[in-house]
Amino acid sequence: MEFADAAGFKPLTYEALTVGEEFVSDDHLVTPEDVETYAFAVDDHHPWFFGPSPFGGPVAHPTLLGNQALHLRHSKYIVHAGLHAKMEFHFLEPIRPGMRVRSRGKVIDKYERRGKQYMVTEFVTEDQAGTPLVRGQFTQMLITR
Amino acid sequence: MAIAEAIRVGQELPPLVKELPQRRIDAYSGVRPRSIHSDDGWARQKGFRTTLAQGMMSTAFISEMLTRLLGAGFVKGGDMSVAFIKPVYQGDRLTVRGVVKELRPEAGGATRVVVDVWCENQHGEKTAVGTASGLHTDAGER
Repeated sequence: MEFADAAGFKPLTYEALTVGEEFVSDDHLVTPEDVETYAFAVDDHHPWFFGPSPFGGPVAHPTLLGNQALHLRHSKYIVHAGLHAKMEFHFLEPIRPGMRVRSRGKVIDKYERRGKQYMVTEFVTEDQAGTPLVRGQFTQMLITR
Repeated sequence: MAIAEAIRVGQELPPLVKELPQRRIDAYSGVRPRSIHSDDGWARQKGFRTTLAQGMMSTAFISEMLTRLLGAGFVKGGDMSVAFIKPVYQGDRLTVRGVVKELRPEAGGATRVVVDVWCENQHGEKTAVGTASGLHTDAGER
């Protein structure tokens, strides 16, 4: 953890978090292996993931890149644990193997309710041309104890 | 086939049953120390009885249900809003359910099909609740 601290990462706390702060993920090349691993993980082997689809070739599961968005805060903070409270997705364009994708996010709210602390992040995931593929927002409960 | 004949308000969608062994959770979340999804000791230290599946896995299950219903009209044009209301633990068995709530005309002759969706565990307790929707066209491929 000292290494992470030295690299500029700080523990995620309610106080450290600022409404309006922005995150950017690394670029990620969507591979057939990603699609296959995801299909195994969620036990969904739709034929469009591996062959022709109405979109002209294989497409990935629409939620494939949810974790790229959900992990945005890890680009700045050391996150010991958290609980996902709410998720909103808008699927704009299919995700295809071979795309290089990136997610950007912005903290749009933080609040305390019934003794628990939450952060709300809006995000967009885009391909290499900047075409939005997925938009949405999510609410995460902070666990800092 | 006209939308009214194919999909109707109040229609129950065929449920999906999903087992959640640690192996699938690991494939979904990755394996790392100090993760409540893959490190049993860490999960217990954080107050849980064992490792948890990511809530996001339930969105994937709901997505599967809507893709089965609407096909391309969910992959492009679909949306979802879900609240995770109870932890899902490794070893749980989820049943994913949906009931058509609304049929809403959209531009271009498509119909937005809005579905109440939820997941319940093997004890009948709801773990996630929300709505999901997508576009239905007579020419849509499923």
